[in-house]
Parts: sequence; C-alpha cells; structure tokens
Amino acid sequence: MKTLSRRRLLHMAAAAGLGLAAGACQRTPATGQAAASPPAAATTAPPTVAPTVVAPSPTGALPTAQMPAPGATPSPVVATPGATATPASEAPAYLAAVHGEDPEAITRRAILALGGMERFVSPGYDVIVKPNICNANHGYEYASTTNPTVVATLVRLCLEAGAQRVRVMDNPFAGSGEQAYARSGIREAVEAAGGEMEIMARHRFVESEIPQGVDLKSWLFYKPILDADLVINVPIAKHHSMARLTLGCKNLMGCIEDRSAMHRNLGQRIADLVSRVAPQLTVMDAVRILTANGPTGGNLNDVLLTNTVIASHDIVAVDAYTTRLFGMQPDEIEYIAAAHRMGLGAMLLAELDIAELEV
Amino acid sequence: MAMRPRVAVRQWRWARRAVQALSLLAFTLLVLWTARDVPGPLGAEGLLRLDPLAGAAAMLSLRRWLPAFIPALILLALTLALGRFWCGWLCPLGTLVDWSAPRDGRARTIPRRWHGLKYGLLLLTLVGALFGSLTLLALDPLTIFVRTVTTWLAPGANWLVTQAQIGLYRVGPLEGLADALDGALRPLVLSYKQAHYQGLLPIAGLFLGILALNRLAPRAWCRILCPLGGLLSLAAKGSWLKRKVGDGCVSCGACARDCRMGTIDPARDYASDSGECILCLDCAVACPRGAITFGPNWRYDADWEYDPIRRQALGMLGLGVAGAALAQVLPERAQPHPYRLRPPGAQEEALLRACLRCGICLRACPTHGLQPSLHEAGIMGLWTPILAPRLGHCEYSCNACGAACPTGAIPPLALAEKQRAAIGKAYVAHDLCLAWTGRAPCIVCEEMCPLPEKAIVLETVAVHDAAQGARTLQAPVVLHERCIGCGLCENRCPVQGEAAIRVRVDPLT
Repeated sequence: MKTLSRRRLLHMAAAAGLGLAAGACQRTPATGQAAASPPAAATTAPPTVAPTVVAPSPTGALPTAQMPAPGATPSPVVATPGATATPASEAPAYLAAVHGEDPEAITRRAILALGGMERFVSPGYDVIVKPNICNANHGYEYASTTNPTVVATLVRLCLEAGAQRVRVMDNPFAGSGEQAYARSGIREAVEAAGGEMEIMARHRFVESEIPQGVDLKSWLFYKPILDADLVINVPIAKHHSMARLTLGCKNLMGCIEDRSAMHRNLGQRIADLVSRVAPQLTVMDAVRILTANGPTGGNLNDVLLTNTVIASHDIVAVDAYTTRLFGMQPDEIEYIAAAHRMGLGAMLLAELDIAELEV
Repeated sequence: MAMRPRVAVRQWRWARRAVQALSLLAFTLLVLWTARDVPGPLGAEGLLRLDPLAGAAAMLSLRRWLPAFIPALILLALTLALGRFWCGWLCPLGTLVDWSAPRDGRARTIPRRWHGLKYGLLLLTLVGALFGSLTLLALDPLTIFVRTVTTWLAPGANWLVTQAQIGLYRVGPLEGLADALDGALRPLVLSYKQAHYQGLLPIAGLFLGILALNRLAPRAWCRILCPLGGLLSLAAKGSWLKRKVGDGCVSCGACARDCRMGTIDPARDYASDSGECILCLDCAVACPRGAITFGPNWRYDADWEYDPIRRQALGMLGLGVAGAALAQVLPERAQPHPYRLRPPGAQEEALLRACLRCGICLRACPTHGLQPSLHEAGIMGLWTPILAPRLGHCEYSCNACGAACPTGAIPPLALAEKQRAAIGKAYVAHDLCLAWTGRAPCIVCEEMCPLPEKAIVLETVAVHDAAQGARTLQAPVVLHERCIGCGLCENRCPVQGEAAIRVRVDPLT
C-alpha cells in the first residue's frame, strides 16, 4: 500500500519534473567541457521524433551521443523483415522509458521502441548480459539485485533474434557467484529462458588497455565481456553513498577485478571503464529501486516500486534519465558527468528523442 | 578365515591396496565437498565421527554422551573383532605414510620399546580432555589429514591450477582447455576463491614430519606416536581375528624382515602383537611356506615390553596435569587476545571444550576467513577456528561453519539467528583511514556493510592534509549497537597492510 502511493507520487513528480529537468539539464556542467564533448554526430542515427516523445528537444537538435560502434551493432534499420516488427508508426527511439506493472511486458516494449532486438543482435551472435548481482544476501524484491524477469526477457529476446548463445554473469562483491545467482532468482529465470549462467572465473580476467582512459590506462577486465559480439548491461537503480547512485555505468564494475582500488577518483574511473567495456545496449531495471542503505540493501522500507524499464544504446542517457526517479539531476552524479565529458554518451536529456510509454 | 593358499593371500593384499586408495580418495573428496558451494548432504564431519579418539576426548571434556560418535563406536567394535584394520586398510594418513616410505625401508628397525610412546600420548590426550583441553587432538591422524588438506593441499592445488589456467588462457587456442579445467574442477574439487591460511608452516611441518619419520622405519608414525593408533591398538590386542604362525614355519625370517610395523618377533617364534598388526598381509605373502594365516583367537596380547604399565600411566597422568596447568596459566587465559574472533555463536569456553581441531569449519567457510589460530587463543586453543577478516570475512548469507562442525563447538545457527550473532565490533583507526586523514575520499567500508540498517554511517568531516589543504569529506563512523563484526569492511579496506577499520572482540562481553 505504502509503496503504491509512493509510486504514484513518484510518477507525478517525475512527470512534473520532466520539463524542469529538461531545462535544468541544459546547464553547462562546472567543467565547461560539455559543449565540446560529443563530437560524433556523423555516426548518429537519423533523428526520429516518435509521437510518444514526451520531451522534445527545444532546439530540435539531433541526438548527440555516439551510436554503438560500427560493426559492433547492426545498422539502425530493422534488419529482419517480418520479425517482431516495430509498429509502422514508430521509428526507433534514442531512449525508451516504459512504465507498467508487468516487468516482461515493459522490457519487451522498451526494446521494441528502440527498434527491436534485431537492431542489436545478428543471427549467430554470442551475447553477454550483465545484470547487477552484487551479493547473495537477499532476493530481488529487496532491490539490491536486478529483476530476474527483466534479465530473462532480454535473454529470450536475444534468442528470438537469432543469438547463438546468451550468457548471464556478474562478479558479486560478497558471496560466491553460485550463491548469488541462486539467491537473486536470476539463475532460475535465465535457465528457463534458455540462457546460461557463467561464473566469472579468475583466469579469464586479463590486463587490458583503456585507450580513452583519462585516469585509468589499463585494468584487469573479464575477457569474454570484451570479446562478446554484444554486451547488454542490465543494472538496477540503487542508492550508493559515494557515487550517490549505482546505475548503468557503475554496474560495469562487475566486469573488473580489484574493485576497492577504483574508489579513489571513482567518478572518472567508472567513466574510463565505460569507455573500454562500451556495452551496446543498456536496460535499466527500475521495477524496484533502492533509495537508501545501498548498494547492499536488505530493508524493504528502502525499496520503492517504480515499475519502469529504461533502455537505450546510450548508457549515459539511461543513467541520466534514471536520476529523475531519485529526484536528482544527471550532473550530480560524477560518473555521468565524466562520461558525458568524454563523449561516451549524452546526459542532456532534453536533446534526446525519448519514447515515454505505458504498458 | 582358515588356511588360504598364497595366491589368495596375494589377492587379499591387492584388495587392501585398492581399498586404501579408494578410502584416501573418498576421504579427500569428503573434505573437499565440505565447501559451501558444493551441493550435497555429505561433508567431512562424517569422517570425524568415525574417530573413537576424538569421540572419547570430546565426551571426557564435555562430560556427556555424544550420539554423533556412534560411528566411532562401531569402528571400535569392528577393531575388537578384526584388529587394527583401520590403520592398514582405511586410515587416509596411514595410506600416505605407506606411499611415502622409502623402498629399502623395511630393513630399518627402531627399538621396540618406542612403540609404547603412543600409549603415553593417548593417555595424555585423554587426561588433557578431562581438564577441558582438546589441544592434543591436533595430533589425531584424522584431524591432521583434514587440516592439511584444507589449509595446504587444497589451496595449493587451487593455486597451481589457477596459474596453469591463466597461462593457458593467454595462448589463444588453449583458452578452451583453461575453461574446461574450470568446468571439471570447480566448484566440486577446487574453489573459486583462492584461500590463504595463517600459521600454515607448523601445520605443513607436522604433516611432512610424519611422512619423514618413515626414514627411521616404515610406518614409524603409526608404530610410535599415533594416538588413535594407540587407542585402536589397545582394543586390537583383544581382537578375535589374529595372525597365526603355523607348523610349516622354517624360521627363515622373511616375515619379520617384511613387517612394516616391526611387530614380528623372531625371539617369539615369529609371533606378533595383534595390537600392532595392521593386517597388511605382507608377511603372509612373504612366507615361502604359506605358514601364516589369520584366524580366531580371543587371547589378549598383553606381554610386550612396551605395553603400558602402571608407572608409565601415572607418569602420564602427572604430565597431563602439569601440562593442563601450564596451558591454563598462559596470559591468553587471563585476557582475551583482541583479535580472537570466534565463529558466529561460538562461546569461548564451550568451543575450547568441544573443538576437535579438525578444521572442517575452515573448509566450509566460503570466504576462507576462518583460520586456524596459532597464538591468539593460547595452547588451549591451538588450531581452533578464528576469523581473520583481512583474509576473508564472515559472509552475511552463510551459516556453513555451524552446520559443518561435528561436535557443535560452533553451534548450528539458523541463518536469521546467525545474522544477529556478533563476532566482534569494528573500529576505525582514524590515523590510517583515507577519509579521516583527508588523503582521499573513500567510503568502501560503508558501501560494503551488509546489514539492512548499515552499521557504518558517513559523517561529513572537515579534514586537512598537507597536500590538499582544508576540505570536507565523508568519513566512516561505526554504530556499535548494529555492528555484528562480520569483517567485510576490514576485508575490503583499501589501506595496505593492516586495515584502517578492524574488527576486535566486543569490548563489553
């Protein structure tokens, strides 16, 4: 009951805040580099203003963030005719935020709004899905680990789009992978969907250069994640006392070893990780969000039912959008600002083509 | 079990070797399977329940009947029937001792009087137990086996395999092989997390020393020192099945030369002590006349020069009392060591009285944070489990140690109960902490705290350091009424060496 009313409040706040947020997001970050940041307009998709877009950019500018790297992702045009078709009226959105009570339905709708999974998966692809399974302490209803239905739905979508293999993995910071996979409910859901859970074994972490890194020049990365045809990042939105929020960028800390050392200059270092892992699709699980005592959780009073999934090829945009659920601004999160500065994505939501949908 | 032709004797000896190998394999797997990640009901606590010495000592120390040791009673009964078959056929340490004996070892002899030492050690162990100390169970062969596998052999194998995997993984085409090793060995045999054990040198040294005793004579450990061997020997002296030398004996001496326990006495017409015979059957194979058989005989073999006599027993009783007094007057008994962190729910005195020193809990601990104490609990607590958070924390969602403990020295707590059982309390060292000293923003301890209401909160504090001047940072403060001392904060503290947040024993209990 409590969560329901909170949720309604939150929706109202979010809706009301959209315009404000859009305006606020125009502020140049303190560093002043943002204006110069995303230089990659050449690689962007043609702008498409869907009828559902809630906050059209006041300037009508093109989406400014990079599209997924060429070759890593198929063309923005829906590749497979006849497959789960995008409604004719709906051109692929830059970012989709879908609200509704059925996690599977909103996940499917969000991917559809982006142009369908076929945009990201070519037949035969080896896909890695990276949820947040941070420990083995609580079930998913405590909002410390990603919703199993959201993860399993993505696995199904990948397989439906012709992926040859879909692996799901995370490197929990406490408790073993085996325990955490089971406790989170993700193992059961993923295996039922036809995916495999993989334990991130020590030997597969290799030192890898971070060519674009500002602070970090190299780190120990989980090699299969660097090698996969497609990496889908499936974070859950949580409180974190240093980063303030654990979102999509921070979820990539599960791809590396030696995490404690990251905390010196955390914001920039996370952005450096984003530049190296560069997941081609980020799907934020905001079915439930954790508002305090994160990232570990364990207290249902800290959990808010927000019934939302946010998806985009742009990890920074997803994170920027998600800050709204916490009543925050994207540039309050250091790693969002840092990633934006590096041109890794767009945090100025007002400039983006956002499909805001209800299911 | 009457006369058998020598061919049949050879087959029996092969059967013994096969049983030894299988038993070693089974016991090793039992130890490995105690690890938390491994599904299945069987763990090595079953192995310890076979041990009549551990059972007798624990019952003396706890002063109550422990039904968990019914299997040990069965083993004792079987020894009364068959003799020391445990030592020759099943004991995993005995098998390793056999396998590491030098080829020419049979020619070496030691004074037979030395065989009596093990009865002294047995008595000392039981007297110690009566005074509430199970420390001498550290010399029980089963605890030695479990402890050595857990702290040295398994982590060592784990390290070797991981290094091999890392090497293979770098060679592109061999990637699959590295992955296959993982699939085959983890988590069933090896663990995902590399373990590191403190005080490993004395543990490894004891194990190697036992194998090295073979240089004196084969099975020297089993003949001279093994306290479980001593207990089984006293039972086996009255066993129903005994070795017999028949009329065909031509006194060639082959059997005495080949006896790995050195118990065949040429001066007694090649008779042997059934308390020392481990039914290895070497003598029966060696005998050119087939004169050696095994058959029923109820006589108690009590006329050997090393048999315990009253004088020796009194001496050991005195030594046991003196030893117990020594252990009790060490400073650790006056004041607890500040980092003597016991597993959740364990009470110090109850744990000392019940802990078999087997180390099964160490193997069960998924973070490998449970460690064999060396000095933290004094002699009374040698090789009992303590948590060393720097090496591994107490996992919030785990209660494996209590479930694995064969005697309840670590109580089997339900998970919800365990999550409230405080091991100790965390304290911040303000002159080490990155945040409190102003050297860097860091909140790792707060982030890691697994409690639903975090026991570490952040305070905004004004800091000043020479390099960066005055500013404000978030710095950790522990709320001790919430802290359960799990040590995850200490484990993850990025400060090198000793952490800037440390769990110590609760100052108020």
